[in-house]
Amino acid sequence: MKKTTNLAFYVPYILWILLFVIAPMLLIVYQSFFNIEGQFTFSNYATYFHSSTYIMMTINSVWYAFLITALTLVISYPAAYLLHYAKHKELWLLLIILPTWINLLLKAYAFIGIFSQDGGINTFLQMMGLGTHQFLFTDFSFIFVASYIEIPFMILPIFNGIEELNEGLVNASRDLGAKWWQTFTRVILPLTMSGVKSGVQAVFIPSLSLFMLTRLIGGNRVITLGTAIEEHFLTTMNWGMGSTIGVILIIAMVVIMFLTGERKKKGGRRA
Amino acid sequence: MSNTIIELQHVSKQYGDTEVLKDINIEIEQGKFYTLLGPSGSGKTTILRAIAGFLDPTKGDVLFNGQRINDIPANERKVNTVFQDYALFPHLNVFENVAYGLRVQKIAKADIETRVDAALKMVRLNGLADREISELSGGQQQRVAIARAIVLEPEVLLLDEPLSALDAKLRKDMQYELRELQQRLGITFLFVTHDQEEALALSDEIFVMNDGEVQQSGTPVDIYDEPVNHFVADFIGESNIVAGHMVQDYLVEFNGKQFECADAGMRPNESVEVVLRPEDLDITALGGGKVTVDVDTQLFRGDYYEIVAYDDAKNEWLIHSTNPAKDGERVDLTFDPEDIHVMRLNESEEDFDARLESYEGE
Amino acid sequence: MKSLKKWKWTNLYLIFVFIMLYVPIAYLIFYSFSAGDTMSNFHGFTWTHYQELFADTRMIQIVVDTLMLALLSSLIATIVGTLGALAISRTSRPVVKNSILSLNNILMVSPDVIIGASFLIFFTALHIPLGFLSVLLSHIAFSIPIVVLMVLPRLQEMSNTMLDAARDLGSTNLQVLTRVIMPFITPGILSGFFMAFTYSLDDFAVTFFVTGNGFETLSVEIYARARQGISLEINALSGVMFLFSLVLVVGYYFIQRGTKSHKAKLKAKGAVTNEATH
Repeated sequence: MKKTTNLAFYVPYILWILLFVIAPMLLIVYQSFFNIEGQFTFSNYATYFHSSTYIMMTINSVWYAFLITALTLVISYPAAYLLHYAKHKELWLLLIILPTWINLLLKAYAFIGIFSQDGGINTFLQMMGLGTHQFLFTDFSFIFVASYIEIPFMILPIFNGIEELNEGLVNASRDLGAKWWQTFTRVILPLTMSGVKSGVQAVFIPSLSLFMLTRLIGGNRVITLGTAIEEHFLTTMNWGMGSTIGVILIIAMVVIMFLTGERKKKGGRRA
Repeated sequence: MSNTIIELQHVSKQYGDTEVLKDINIEIEQGKFYTLLGPSGSGKTTILRAIAGFLDPTKGDVLFNGQRINDIPANERKVNTVFQDYALFPHLNVFENVAYGLRVQKIAKADIETRVDAALKMVRLNGLADREISELSGGQQQRVAIARAIVLEPEVLLLDEPLSALDAKLRKDMQYELRELQQRLGITFLFVTHDQEEALALSDEIFVMNDGEVQQSGTPVDIYDEPVNHFVADFIGESNIVAGHMVQDYLVEFNGKQFECADAGMRPNESVEVVLRPEDLDITALGGGKVTVDVDTQLFRGDYYEIVAYDDAKNEWLIHSTNPAKDGERVDLTFDPEDIHVMRLNESEEDFDARLESYEGE
Repeated sequence: MKSLKKWKWTNLYLIFVFIMLYVPIAYLIFYSFSAGDTMSNFHGFTWTHYQELFADTRMIQIVVDTLMLALLSSLIATIVGTLGALAISRTSRPVVKNSILSLNNILMVSPDVIIGASFLIFFTALHIPLGFLSVLLSHIAFSIPIVVLMVLPRLQEMSNTMLDAARDLGSTNLQVLTRVIMPFITPGILSGFFMAFTYSLDDFAVTFFVTGNGFETLSVEIYARARQGISLEINALSGVMFLFSLVLVVGYYFIQRGTKSHKAKLKAKGAVTNEATH
């Protein structure tokens, strides 16, 4: 192929990479070294690492993200597995995808109604004679709603992983005398691990930054890394501190990517 | 005047450190059916791609009608290719696939229609013009691929293992059809295959390739009867190859005995290899033959029995016989002097031809 | 007998998951028809909230703006992304290719707040006013990688011999592109466009960061209203949007099906060829 035609393909795309991928990432790192008066400083990082509030907030944030990921995984794996063997699975799959097309804020908004003092859940509990409870603005409601929103994003990659699994391997395992549970733990689970990993990636990272949920559902009681960044950028206008937390979030993201990434060279054999 | 249409002069191709073609010199004449035969990785497809224009030789020239065409891009060369995986366009139907080459040349619509129809008729696909590619069987896709290439009226048609994806029965049928098509069109076919039977059945001339080199070229009969070296003897057909040495012209010694043969031109006492085709060996009663062997196993192959036997030196002998033998039986094998083919070690094809001429041409 | 039992159990769990997924949406839409003004105690059927919604010119304007933004951004993202995929597929050195792909995926995996915050810094540094332009550029930017990811597999599925065949039959580079490559990757391009479109419609966080005061999208408006409490006009909006999503999903489903059946056919063919070569 001629070099000139290639150039025409590259230019807009490379421009995009430079302007909207590399430049913003560099800028956020750069910004993290400036204080609110615009002077160069390391104080943002010093503040972050010396403040128990920030550290606790980070730990909390990771802990919530972990809970959300674990909860969605526990619900999603069996669902994806059953989906694989279900009749009309294309239709079921479509039904899973459909809620992701509904604006996230509308779904969050629905829970404001459902969890409110005289909302659906409390009405139901009252009917059962269990009295009313405070759901809205609790840790529970945040984790529940976040999990609700993330479930389809966990089911889909796991489902794809199971779909790619060669049915012959399952039969081979059974033929070789493995019980259902043994087949599951020794063949199905290891071979669908990559789907689980991409599901975990797809859920864990966004869970660190769901600031709108913490505002609408968590009622500012739950503060995540995302909430802190939003607050610093849009309320207190301390972009330097916001960027510092952003850098921390990016590092957390890279760690997750590394942990869940495919290590092809080494992963050949594990005991 | 020479009617050479394609010529490769000292063509070599290197990828990094590996040399996939080593100084290839080939001449291809108009209107004949040529085959490049060799195991996978022998460089046969590489030659085809160099002629089609999909790769540049590292060294050497590709000539077309005497003109160097190394720098002419594939789309401007007057050769067309039938690909191993057919490479049909899935988004176009049968008619449009065949018409593709005409459409990109902006040929008039009416012309396109008549030429496509004619090409489809040629491969017996008339009536399937409106089918989608995905609705066709493997054999039909194969025909579309051929029609798509011949509709452009190339002077040379390159076929890259076109039959390898078909089942045995269909393959046989297509062999006949290809040969017939080539004769009807009167153009040159250059056919690549790793199947020696296919090559022997189809070709006017075969180039046997191995390791990026042409080992031997010639008519199927020449190559079968007088393989130039161990590789060719082993690759083409089945053979018994035993080590021996030349006593004098027309007398060779192997298995501790001397035999009359039809070969000459070697140094006295030169080490040689002797080829005996399994179908040339006959089983006779003990004492009545030239080599004594013990029958080990036999397989019924339909039109003959394939018998494996061992002589006293534990050399394996393969015999094709119309009659069965008894397992464990001790028998003699017999053959005629002209059934023996003697090969010198490391003799090049040129030397081989020269030697043959020296004593046959008298 | 056994299979019947199994059927029941598996479907029970799936049905449970689906009820979980759909109850909140149903709840929203259910109350959009309630005559009251909270999401509790259904007060009798009414269309009032829908009438309110369609009389709300500000809301209508926002919906139109949001759709225009989605359409424009996904269109541009599709063009740039398709070119990008073509560029990547032409890159032969694996190191370069993998680096480009990693850069491509950064925006796919980055949390929205990071994208929003970094874009905000970027626009401010370049003195690009916050408003429609900054939102449009952001939406284009975060939609490009998904288009690349949708188009690239189609390009890689395309066999090299098919391109060789096109050239062998006399097509110029441009003809190979327009007559063979483009038709072949069109399903991927359409998928990419659809995904970009829905990404744009769905986005809240990035828009929230870079929009300033001048330009509102539906998500930002819903957020603002939801923070003020419950207004059943939003429920009515949910009803309308659910319907719209349904149409989108069904459209996407058919595109996907088209792609898939193509794939299956190709696979079947590939299997035949493979078998023969081994």
